[in-house]
Amino acid sequence: MKEIDYVELYARELKKNPALFRQQKMLIESQYNASRSLFRNMFQGEDYNQKAREYLRGIGLLK
Amino acid sequence: MGAGYIIKGEVIIINRELTELDRFVMDFLQVLKKHSDYLIVSGFVSISTGRTRGTEDVDILVPVMSKSQFTNLFAELRENGFWCYQSENPDEVYDYIKEMVSVRFARVKEMYPNIEFIPITPAKKAKYFEFTHPQKMRVHNFEFKVPPIEFEILYKELVLAGDKDLKDAKHLRTIFSDLIKKEKFKEYEAVVRMEL
Repeated sequence: MKEIDYVELYARELKKNPALFRQQKMLIESQYNASRSLFRNMFQGEDYNQKAREYLRGIGLLK
Repeated sequence: MGAGYIIKGEVIIINRELTELDRFVMDFLQVLKKHSDYLIVSGFVSISTGRTRGTEDVDILVPVMSKSQFTNLFAELRENGFWCYQSENPDEVYDYIKEMVSVRFARVKEMYPNIEFIPITPAKKAKYFEFTHPQKMRVHNFEFKVPPIEFEILYKELVLAGDKDLKDAKHLRTIFSDLIKKEKFKEYEAVVRMEL
């Protein structure tokens, strides 16, 4: 099955069965928590914003 | 079992629990709404209706405001636990807004998700059109405004057109198949094409 077919299949099922939203919530919150923990470890200390800005400049998201 | 969503008046009510991503957006909007109108566009529209993918940013259109209005908004966002990627100084951040460049806000001591705060004026024809034609959506007690679904689909298919965007559009076309209207696609296509 192509990934785009999977998107369609999942949406079709979701329309009939809102219980599937629970899986989606788990995925979203797992990414949210992983990101929070990763960057807290990367930019430990009082100067979080400064370290974060250096990182953002490095990846081109900030000039 | 129920349905994934219902329509009540002019509001699409999504039948699910709030996620941490919703709470993040809700907290940001609680402050923003005191200072300005807004419209949430792009990925969050698909994700809030069940598209199973992660996201790093939530795009919000905000009409350009005066420097003093922005300074007040900026101060209140900071008081409520948000920091701005660009600077701690609202004067410096306003320089971006003036130049119609997006700025980003996240929760203190967090990087992602972030709000991409996108300044708009009536000169941005397509963006201003969606901004002035909002669709209300609700998840539990969280009500927010998004573009008309047909507009969002066309924007993703014609303007953004990346792999992720086409999948988002497919998701919206499928989940809202009994809601979307052919004539709306016709009406919106000319407007969306102004972005090309």
